[in-house]
Amino acid sequence: MKEKMSKKDMTDKNEIKPDRWRELRLSLQVFFSNKAAVAGLVIFLFYFFDALILQFFPQILPFKHPYSLTPNYADPIPLPPSWKHPFGTTYPGVDLLRAVIKSIRLDFWLSLEIVIPGAIIGLIIGIIATYFGGWIDEVLMRITDIVFSIPYLVLAIAIGYVLGRTLNSMMIALILVWWPLYARYARSVTLETKELTFIEAARASGTSNFKIMFKHILPNSLPPVFVQISLDLGTIMLTISALAFIGFLPAANLPELGYLTSLGYNYIQTAPWAMIIPGLFIVLFALAVNLMGDGFRDVIDPRRRSEL
Amino acid sequence: MSYKMETSNLSSNLAPIVKVENFHLHYYTRRGVYKALNGVNLEIRKGEVLGVAGESGCGKSTLGRSIMGLIPRNAAVVNGRILVDGKDYLKPLNDYYKKAKKFKPTKNADILKKVNEEMSSIRGQKISMVFQEPMTTLNPLLQVGYQIAEVLYYHNPGLLASRRLSRHRATKEDMKNIIKILKENGINEKLTDYLKSRNILGLEDQVISIWRRKDLHDLKKEQIIEKLCCEPINSFTKKYLEVIEKENKLPNFSRVPIIGRLVKRELFKEGYKKASEFLGLLGIPNADKMVYMYPHELSGGQRQRIVIAIAMINNPELVILDEPTSALDVTIQAQILELIKELKESTNSSYMFISHDLSVLAEVSDRIAIMYAGQVVEVGKKENIFDQPKHPYTQMLMEAIPTIEVHELKGIKGEVPDMRNPPKGCMFRDRCPYAMPICAEKRPDLIKVGEDHYVACFLYEGGKS
Amino acid sequence: MIIAARQLSKFFDVKGVKNAKIRAVENVNIEIKEGEIVGLVGESGSGKSTLGRLLIRLIEPTSGEILYNIPDDELDEFDIALKNNDQNAVKKIVDKYSIMRLHGKELKTFRRNVGIVFQDPYSSLDPRLKIEDIIAEPIVETGFLKGPKVKARVLELLDEVQLPREFSYRFPHELSGGQRQRVALARGIATNPKLVILDEPTSALDVSIQAEILELLKELRKKYNMAMLLITHNISVVSYMADRVFVMYAGKIMEKGNKNDIIKNPEHPYTQALISAVPQIKRVRQRIILKGDPPNLINPPKGCRFHPRCPVALPICGWTADEVKPTLEYLISSKYFTEFSNTKVEVKDELELTVYNAKADKLREIINIEKENLRPLMSIKDIIDENGNVTLKLYKYETPELIKLENGREVECLLFSKFKE
Ligand SMILES: Nc1ncnc2c1ncn2[C@@H]1O[C@H](COP(=O)(O)OP(=O)(O)O)[C@@H](O)[C@H]1O
Ligand SMILES: Nc1ncnc2c1ncn2[C@@H]1O[C@H](COP(=O)(O)OP(=O)(O)O)[C@@H](O)[C@H]1O
Ligand code: SF4
Ligand code: SF4
Ligand SMILES: [Mg+2]
Ligand SMILES: [Mg+2]
Repeated sequence: MKEKMSKKDMTDKNEIKPDRWRELRLSLQVFFSNKAAVAGLVIFLFYFFDALILQFFPQILPFKHPYSLTPNYADPIPLPPSWKHPFGTTYPGVDLLRAVIKSIRLDFWLSLEIVIPGAIIGLIIGIIATYFGGWIDEVLMRITDIVFSIPYLVLAIAIGYVLGRTLNSMMIALILVWWPLYARYARSVTLETKELTFIEAARASGTSNFKIMFKHILPNSLPPVFVQISLDLGTIMLTISALAFIGFLPAANLPELGYLTSLGYNYIQTAPWAMIIPGLFIVLFALAVNLMGDGFRDVIDPRRRSEL
Repeated sequence: MSYKMETSNLSSNLAPIVKVENFHLHYYTRRGVYKALNGVNLEIRKGEVLGVAGESGCGKSTLGRSIMGLIPRNAAVVNGRILVDGKDYLKPLNDYYKKAKKFKPTKNADILKKVNEEMSSIRGQKISMVFQEPMTTLNPLLQVGYQIAEVLYYHNPGLLASRRLSRHRATKEDMKNIIKILKENGINEKLTDYLKSRNILGLEDQVISIWRRKDLHDLKKEQIIEKLCCEPINSFTKKYLEVIEKENKLPNFSRVPIIGRLVKRELFKEGYKKASEFLGLLGIPNADKMVYMYPHELSGGQRQRIVIAIAMINNPELVILDEPTSALDVTIQAQILELIKELKESTNSSYMFISHDLSVLAEVSDRIAIMYAGQVVEVGKKENIFDQPKHPYTQMLMEAIPTIEVHELKGIKGEVPDMRNPPKGCMFRDRCPYAMPICAEKRPDLIKVGEDHYVACFLYEGGKS
Repeated sequence: MIIAARQLSKFFDVKGVKNAKIRAVENVNIEIKEGEIVGLVGESGSGKSTLGRLLIRLIEPTSGEILYNIPDDELDEFDIALKNNDQNAVKKIVDKYSIMRLHGKELKTFRRNVGIVFQDPYSSLDPRLKIEDIIAEPIVETGFLKGPKVKARVLELLDEVQLPREFSYRFPHELSGGQRQRVALARGIATNPKLVILDEPTSALDVSIQAEILELLKELRKKYNMAMLLITHNISVVSYMADRVFVMYAGKIMEKGNKNDIIKNPEHPYTQALISAVPQIKRVRQRIILKGDPPNLINPPKGCRFHPRCPVALPICGWTADEVKPTLEYLISSKYFTEFSNTKVEVKDELELTVYNAKADKLREIINIEKENLRPLMSIKDIIDENGNVTLKLYKYETPELIKLENGREVECLLFSKFKE
């Protein structure tokens, strides 16, 4: 017996690495077999690199003012797409291609800055609610419901009044509105995780409730929550744009897709591209992250992993 | 369903209903190609209970499902064949596999669809299957009576129509005669002959199920039987039921919206009646109430009885029972095993009883097949398998099973081979204490080692035993 | 005794239904000695896992006491005090030995001295942790060892459960079912506990693997003299492993005794049926087929919980008018329907029924004939004629208690308490 084992040990040792690679390869295989998800990922990467370059290496691009729109008051009326302006221009004489490239930066980072803190707050609250259950759960979930029921526009406007119309106040407002969504979702995920036997085993091992939450429940709840985040980024960008569209931006000239859309609004009949093109970029992002999120969901679904 | 004792002679009993020959089936998955069945040879004979044992993952369920043609699209029929009454339904799948350069589940699925269509005429009728988890078979949203009636409605509508019409055609006189025959002879051919001559054969199972009831006073039984006659029927219903009775299939006009509804309602009403009679025969108390219940209102054991009823109601030639008692407690398991024994006595169906528990098989089987890693490694009469197990795996398995009578337990060291990459020679080689050089090179075939006793192991090649 | 439970009960709430309780464990007395293997058998839903969890305080009991590491004489004292309802004496011992009073550090020490292994080797290991972290958890959390010693202990445990040391870097999904169960076992015994609860440790495994794990358990017991509570529905496994056996049914202990006695010569009617129902390769014992299913624990049968299925139930085993009524109706409407007309049965209270339009003599005659087969009829004590209607009075039922027989067996059945009197 012992001899057999030691022989086995040697082979086991060699197997460990390839084994782990196999899981990763499998994940990639599952993701890439979903064509729509791959398309989503490609589009997402365009946005991501756009945002990355403009944020950190704007000098690569031939923009004099990467963080503001460059109007041309000499020719303010929108022009149709042409060689000089592939996407046309919008009021007041802003080249749409350049404007869109500049705008993506703000929208992209802002979305992340809202989703991530929102998700963290939501997860913590959801986990606390589930793990302790009872009245703590009850109270936290009631609070969540109340916040959830506040229309985000109202809250954003209210906070805008109090803190002033800045990007930060917009961000805070949206984080405040967004966490309940994750709290609810995290609660349902952690409720499921909590029922697994290894949680009971941890308790039998003398692990404290606090530690069980962070060592066992949180890591096992992260992947589904991560998938939810990826699905949500698009919705957030839509919301930000909507706020910007109705004029909830701190400064004019700030390149932002919703704001760009609002610039073309007055010309909807004579120059439809001025509104359609920036609008299209908003919708495209929402669509892309949704498709991509579906792909991630496949990856964490054990059934998908084993089927062909 | 025929309740008569089978009097046919023994030799015809030995003819196989199903013959599995060198059958290979592979599952294509993202994690690799699982070679689930690697040359299975097996036959199921008329009127026998064939037990199939083996560790989990050795391919027992895959084999059972393959006989039914219930395989998923990622399953490739690589080689061999399964003959059901002499016909190889899976041949198109095998042809596809042999022809295709690269196995594609989507293409396979197209062929599978056709195979399914062809097999639907025998499924539920000639062959039926019972699964371990009754909830996978039962629809939680439908009454159990409905689910039994459904099987009859699709596979045997003629019976339902005939039952209803017979009650209409029978006269008071008939019923008196029937009771007289029953009182004089009990249940035998006389009754059938009489019913046939009067064209009321649809009464047969109704009368018998009442007459067999143990919980009724004879007088009460007579009263109930007397009431079976002279049921009024409107001429329209009569017309279409007569067509169905003659053709024993759903006629085209049953697809016409409103008429179809009427036909269905009439037949389902009859189906519920038959269902409650049948459940009564299976020893379910309050069967007439049970048919109106939903699966979740029943206990695990009752659900399994319902599933067995669904499988048995068309009097199939073969019933495949896939771990039918593994999810049940011992006392309930004992009830179900008793039921299966009774069914075996009272019908002439064959049974393939799959279980990982050899002692369960010992209770019910006539013959037992031991599977290991997608092959049958030993098959023979129950007594031979238990008293003189030949294959090293069977021998070691016997020693690994704890029994109430305490004996030394010996586990089988090592694990089942990875079925994506099975060894070239004997599958059991890594765990076999007798392994020889030849075991690494060739796979042993089943050879005869005794009367009706076959083993796949090189220890017995060359006439040794 | 390493652990003893007295009058232990656990009732669970039913979600969405007020005042309904699942009486999963009720009024249970058990004791486990140092170093012995006790088998706890019973059908699923009989409360075995709940009892196991209670014993190591993974869940809190509704009532009753669990005494840890209590000397035999003090347990006897406790039993006497309970019998005499001597609150002071009870309190004294409870304060000293009850696991319910443990907090903080003491509770950690208790956790170090008990371990548990669960049935499902897939859900009982955290998929995100390496094997070494899984095994180390109880060692670190109960403060059994610290620093580099932890790792050494983990490797030692891997040897102990016959797994290669390299497995410490693996994740659970890289192991087979049998290997995972060995890891779970290593975790269960990591802190050298005095008592390990094994909740169906081999039920999810194949027989060839099961035999090896059982072998390993026996070795470990011999080496470390741990007490084990082996929970299982598989009587053959218990027969192979255990020194003593507890039989549970519907939340109650039905019989306790030495393994050999119980398997060879079960006294309790339920144990007899249970053991005869075990499928056997060579059947020696006549099978007793029980009718019906185990009861619902929200509203369990009165008196003895086994009485509706008991083939030898007595008149006083717990029959109530609700159970007698359908039996009478069945007789009236089918078997003897010629003797009755327009007869109706009505429940008056728990122990009384009225039969309208019937004759007492006729009814008495029928009941006498049928009561051997239809046990509920046995409970009819008086049949009183009241001009055309009949009043049936039932025996008052009793609830059996666990009593010790002369041969050392403990049985909860009225057949035996009757003889004792
Ligand atoms: N639908 C499927 N897809 C892929 N692999 C499968 C599928 N069904 C079964 N298998 C694999 O085939 C092998 C045999 O399975 P099965 O017939 O269910 O065994 P058993 O019933 O003896 O436990 C197992 O290794 C199993 O993982
Ligand atoms: N956490 C729980 N909440 C509610 N009911 C429970 C809980 N745990 C067990 N039960 C119920 O208690 C009864 C006994 O369960 P259990 O102890 O798991 O039985 P066993 O282990 O013998 O199968 C069952 O009816 C079960 O549904
Ligand atoms: S063929 Fe060889 S390896 Fe296989 S069981 Fe027989 S002796 Fe063992
Ligand atoms: S007390 Fe004994 S005899 Fe009475 S029902 Fe219970 S087990 Fe049967
Ligand atoms: Mg199976
Ligand atoms: Mg349990």
